[in-house]
Amino acid sequence: MAKEVLKVVDLRKKLGGREVLKGVTLTVREGETKVIIGPSGAGKSTLLRCINLLLRPDSGKVFLDGKEVTAPGVDPVKVRQRIGFVFQSFNLFLHMTALENVLIVLTKVKKLPMCEALRIAKEALQSVGIGEEHWGKYPAQLSGGQQQRVAIARALAMEPRIILLDEPTSALDPELIVEVMQVLENLSKKGVTMLVVTHELGFAAKAADSVVFMDDGQIIEEGPPEEILLSPRNPRVASFITRLWELYDIKDTLTSRER
Amino acid sequence: MLEVLQGVVEVLTKYAPLLAEGLKNTLLVTVASFVIGFALGLPLSVVRMYGLPPLKALVTVYVELIRGTPLMLQLFLVYYALPTLGIALSPLQAAILALGLNSAAYQAEYFRTAMGSIPRGQWGAALGIGLSMSAAVRHVVIPQVLRIAVPMLTNEAIYLLKYSSIASLITVPELLYMSRIITSRTFMYVQVYAFLGLTYVMIGSVIAKLMRRVETIIAVPGLTVSHSRSLM
Repeated sequence: MAKEVLKVVDLRKKLGGREVLKGVTLTVREGETKVIIGPSGAGKSTLLRCINLLLRPDSGKVFLDGKEVTAPGVDPVKVRQRIGFVFQSFNLFLHMTALENVLIVLTKVKKLPMCEALRIAKEALQSVGIGEEHWGKYPAQLSGGQQQRVAIARALAMEPRIILLDEPTSALDPELIVEVMQVLENLSKKGVTMLVVTHELGFAAKAADSVVFMDDGQIIEEGPPEEILLSPRNPRVASFITRLWELYDIKDTLTSRER
Repeated sequence: MLEVLQGVVEVLTKYAPLLAEGLKNTLLVTVASFVIGFALGLPLSVVRMYGLPPLKALVTVYVELIRGTPLMLQLFLVYYALPTLGIALSPLQAAILALGLNSAAYQAEYFRTAMGSIPRGQWGAALGIGLSMSAAVRHVVIPQVLRIAVPMLTNEAIYLLKYSSIASLITVPELLYMSRIITSRTFMYVQVYAFLGLTYVMIGSVIAKLMRRVETIIAVPGLTVSHSRSLM
């Protein structure tokens, strides 16, 4: 079995007096694509933010490559440099072009010389399908799908040990979801280690190695995609999945209308 | 009518060297105090926004003191009170320092407002890619703040231009001071002061034009707040 890149142990977090995470434990292995699904308010985003220490967990531990990053004295800045993060709302730097958004990681975080940084940044943008004609554009001049792909390139450029993606397509129009999902599927195939919060069951079905269902701050069920998506054991998971499938099963809906 | 105009032109030509000297000093006080205000105001705003609590409190007290007292009083304190502490400044130096310290408080407030308008996600992203707090401020916050703050800075520069006139009260030979000399000799109060007023308006509009140039040069699509306020 591949080695553990990320390990979360009994993570708890209160926000505004409410217990958002009630003891979450999970592991992501090298090259694995793990998908987290679950209703909104389940604590999925909070979990990701606690993992890269944008939020401090109240208790519990996070290990990266076997080293505890939640231990006192560990510099969160150093930890975040090894964890990529892709936001729901892209969050590209508004005053920088697409190219500069990737470059800043290489020049200011990895401190590479400019010529090498340029080469890597251009490669990263190409790899997510952002061609040369878009490199000089500012976020406001790019479509949501293009912005999110630049954001993925920015995360990739760090060569992180794992990329956390927080509902990367939720803010996108349907036709743009496809282009972003394709990029993520490619990354998954290439063996980039990913932890993805998403409602896209299609992505989970195609690319996930394992699926985690979260509700009310806890992991309710975990397993391979075919098991969670088709025959979950927990009734709560089953009803959630059924409702999501109904959303996608246009064919069924249409055939039942004909009758 | 024509005679009056001729009289004005005559007086102005006669006293042109005085007025030129006055203009030079007015511009000097305005520009220098603006630069001091900028150089101090930006770091002050960063401290007030992201600094440690005791430092934050210190900046808040400074801003409130400056905003809460008359500018003229601040000028007198710098010019008349500092010498008793062993710091004697020339009138020109005192005026520049007083206006600069005053402007720093106001500019700090402008920058703070601008910082507040930066989307929170920008911070998350800056920290998320592994920038330290200070690197995030330098590379992400400040470049955006400066662009947002340009219209407010334009106002500030024009205020400073007009308030530089109170430097005449501590005998800085700037435009108002020179005009007073001229009127005391010629008794042409209306004409000379009207001309002075026009001069301020003209310099002010030049400043506004220059600042708009700056704004266009550093403009980034989606980040200009001033002219193209979007309907969101």
